Amino acid sequence: MSSNVEKIGAVMVVGGGITGIQASLDLAEQGYMVYLIENSPAIGGAMAQLDKTFPTLDCAM
Amino acid sequence: MESGRYSNIKIIANAKIESLKGQAGNYNVTVLKRPRYVDEDLCTACGTCVSYCPVEMPDSYNEKLVNSKCLYIPYPQAVPASYVIDPKYCLFQTKNECRQCEQACKDLKAIKLNQQAEHIDIQVGSIILAIGFDEFDARRKKAYGYGEYPNVITSIELERMLSASGPFTGKITRLSDRKHPKKIAFLQCVGSRDIETNAYCSSVCCTYAVKEAMVAKEHDPDVDITIFYMDIRTQGKGFESFYERAKTKFGIKFVRSRLASLERIHESENLLFKFVTEDGKHHSEEFDMAVLSVGLEPSRTAKELADTLGVKLNKEGFCQTNEFSPTSTNREGIFVAGAFQSPKDIPESVIQASGSVALASGFLSEVRGTLVEQKECVAETDLTGEDPRIGVFVCHCGVNIAGVADVKKIREYVETLPDVVYAEQSMYACSKDNQDKIKQIIKEHNLNRVVVAACTPRTHEPLFQETIREAGLNRCLFEMANIRDHCSWVHANEPQAATEKAIDLLRMGVAKARLLSPLKEETVPVIPKGLVIGGGLSGMIAALSLADQGLECVLLEKSKLLGGNLRGIYYTLSGNDPQKLLRDTIDKVTSHPKIKVFTEADIKEVTGYIGNFLTRFSIGQEEQTISHGVIIVATGAFEYEPKEYLYGENESVITQHSLEEKLALKNFNSDDLKDVVMIQCVGSRTKEKPYCSKICCSQAIKNALKIKSIKPNSNVYILYKDIRTYGFREEYYRKARNEGIIFIRYDDNTLPLVKEENGELRVEVFDPILGENILISPSLLVLSAGVDPGDNRSISKLLKVPLNFEGFFLEAHVKLRPVDFPTDGVFVAGLAHSPKPIDETIAQAQAAAARAAIPLTRGYVMVEPVASIVDSEKCFGCGICEYLCPYGSIKVISDEDGDKAQSISASCKGCGICASKCPRQAITMGRFTNEQIIAQIDAFSLATSDV
Amino acid sequence: MSFEPKILGILCNWCAYAGGDLAGVSRIQYPPNMKVVRVMCTGRVDPEFVIEGFLVGCDGIWVGG
Repeated sequence: MSSNVEKIGAVMVVGGGITGIQASLDLAEQGYMVYLIENSPAIGGAMAQLDKTFPTLDCAM
Repeated sequence: MESGRYSNIKIIANAKIESLKGQAGNYNVTVLKRPRYVDEDLCTACGTCVSYCPVEMPDSYNEKLVNSKCLYIPYPQAVPASYVIDPKYCLFQTKNECRQCEQACKDLKAIKLNQQAEHIDIQVGSIILAIGFDEFDARRKKAYGYGEYPNVITSIELERMLSASGPFTGKITRLSDRKHPKKIAFLQCVGSRDIETNAYCSSVCCTYAVKEAMVAKEHDPDVDITIFYMDIRTQGKGFESFYERAKTKFGIKFVRSRLASLERIHESENLLFKFVTEDGKHHSEEFDMAVLSVGLEPSRTAKELADTLGVKLNKEGFCQTNEFSPTSTNREGIFVAGAFQSPKDIPESVIQASGSVALASGFLSEVRGTLVEQKECVAETDLTGEDPRIGVFVCHCGVNIAGVADVKKIREYVETLPDVVYAEQSMYACSKDNQDKIKQIIKEHNLNRVVVAACTPRTHEPLFQETIREAGLNRCLFEMANIRDHCSWVHANEPQAATEKAIDLLRMGVAKARLLSPLKEETVPVIPKGLVIGGGLSGMIAALSLADQGLECVLLEKSKLLGGNLRGIYYTLSGNDPQKLLRDTIDKVTSHPKIKVFTEADIKEVTGYIGNFLTRFSIGQEEQTISHGVIIVATGAFEYEPKEYLYGENESVITQHSLEEKLALKNFNSDDLKDVVMIQCVGSRTKEKPYCSKICCSQAIKNALKIKSIKPNSNVYILYKDIRTYGFREEYYRKARNEGIIFIRYDDNTLPLVKEENGELRVEVFDPILGENILISPSLLVLSAGVDPGDNRSISKLLKVPLNFEGFFLEAHVKLRPVDFPTDGVFVAGLAHSPKPIDETIAQAQAAAARAAIPLTRGYVMVEPVASIVDSEKCFGCGICEYLCPYGSIKVISDEDGDKAQSISASCKGCGICASKCPRQAITMGRFTNEQIIAQIDAFSLATSDV
Repeated sequence: MSFEPKILGILCNWCAYAGGDLAGVSRIQYPPNMKVVRVMCTGRVDPEFVIEGFLVGCDGIWVGG
């Protein structure tokens, strides 16, 4: 167990799709330092490619 | 895309994890950042360099349907908003020549052709894995001809074709002849539910195919669309009614079939589908285009990442998790969310994202806030009594604006406008240097309003507002004129008209700026305590999760016992013990020092707003009132009580829940299990209850397998519409078929007929495979009764939160805010939101707790200065505003002065519905007052002076 | 010269105004007659704005949201 570990108030989020972005935003709003690591040159992931989303057919952006 | 704006989110793109050292709570991660050959901080994404780049390559964002330059921005709204060079194509990187882009960017010097890879060491307490999925490579199904037949495309390619900003500006286009197809076939389960490739169900393809088909129909109502499928799995919230609409309103054809072959017709480049329908008949039909609904596979980076981190993958290559802890990996402090955990849609991914945050935050709660820098705040200059002194900055944006409009002329014109004391042209108004310059000029010229004519305020306003704030000006004394996105870019061939329009836009902006006034940036304190309504699994998990994050909470349960529907679940498909989960969770909840549980509690009244709620409830005769900052609604749902199929009349007709109890408690005799018929979709997907209850297919298969394990020679028949064992549940459907469970499909025209003859049950149903009716005399008839939301109207009224047509609670945004209500500070989780299995319930309860923890941990709510302001002199308390406000953010309060509306600025979103409907014009909106908007309109009408 | 209407656009920040931005990013060309007033929601649009627009000489008003 890591009870004697000096904990760090930062979280690394691996993957900058909609899931990683949402996790990063929630962590940041809670007061953690967030490192968002994305494999490609820009975050956005698969959702950035979607034209509209179901069922409201809102714009995915 | 707002993550680019948080100072405590550092985005490291073009990077991967190289190694992990240390232990949970204090991990040391080395990240490899590959060179992008463009300095992200210096690049303003003006795009000037692109026209100089001579090299073209396939554009991955557009699924390689078109080309882009090898110096590119991945897509228009990309974050980081910076270009990047693909070294595989760049002439300098491959042949050491060219360097034209460097020349193009000689002012900013953002191109760094000699940039090297960096190894960055980062210390973190926890890690969340959200690497997503990769789409199935359709080339692996050779028979479908993808990559060979030009008019066979994937669903993702179609998605880009349908996009107005995509390669064909929203028109579906045959790649063979660039014509618009008139007859399109979708083929489902390409790389899903297929032993050769992926045995699991990808969960999302049916829904996206229905969506794409509908959008295609909207673009061209004459297009003929057929979807070839095995089962339509639209189990998500709200999806079933869209499937129905696709069939009935859009005329999209759905054909349940097996594909025998897909052939290319060379002359026309059409495609011949040969398929077998369930009655065994062979058909063939020609189509102009075929769309392969490709499945979701583990990301190609998954294996390497898992090895680096010591995280286990399941046999399918997704992250290994347990049903009862869906976002935990095998390593402490490392969590998972989204499609890396299992194939899933956007709302489920967003839910898991927040759910994993609850766990990470619970793990690190004692060090929360320790690494976040607090910016020191410059005191605001007092402007009382000062006349407007406006400074205007007109941006060239490289050549983006200046290449079309005459920026000098614009600047000269602006100088003639009243109250403008300073005007300047900037090469890049948003560059770092220019921010310092703006600050300096504000001081030198004593400016008290700033107008920037550049790009869109939607991306750049916060930056400039921050700048003027650092110079001591209130953020609200700022206005932008969008002379790029709304002008030079869209009138590129009309330089004179663009210049005139830019002048008009600036005159309007300045007219508004003259009337801007500073608005107080208020904060409202938050009581750091949560209220959870409902003591079922979701309520208990939400309460525990809040408590684990270090927050106090009160859990109210209406009945005598905690546990809700979980009390009646005895085993799960994957073999976990829900009764142990029930006992453990109740133990933890009742013994946690931060949780206070009240059972038999009845809520009488809820008042207040985010941060400051007051709830009055009774327990028997006693009444209590508690104050709290947030509310989580986890009121659950019920098993539907069937009115059909002799339920309640014949005692051998029971529901799945009672069957499960019988089996678990061994409360049956052997003959009961001899011939069991199960009927699916009882109280689901019907006229009265049109939604899919999501869990019943898995529940039926679970109980059917249990019967087979107790009594292997029993006959179990499942009468179904579509079997919806999505995700990894598909494995159990296959197992059920292998164990001889008989599946008979019915539809609305062939509903099973249940009769009692001489005390014996008789079920008659049409078997589409045999093509005739069959008769079964079951020893037990089990109805898969759906999930009934019950009557949520009273809670909905108490909290002023909406319900959908079906009676479940309606979240703020189906995709992106699946646990929030439109009213700030109120959240939803579990069956109250929609039918869902245990794992999704747990993730959603944790998600609600993570979202609710945001205001609680921060301790205050920032009030956006765009909030409504009521002039109580004018207000006469009619209440129209309160009735219309979608966020419950304005209320009529009675006091000695009579009834007056009061703005609850803590939750106001600034939409202004109240202001526009107020009969006394007593309400105004911060930064969007009537006077300001009218001044803009008036300024527009002034004739453009000779420019 | 042909008639060039003066069109006022009152656009919602979250959708129609964003659509205007996207048109720009996509370099979709359209006539320059419309000038935009941004609001946070078309619910903000008071009928007075529309009347004022016509009174001061707009030929058309588009409330987009």
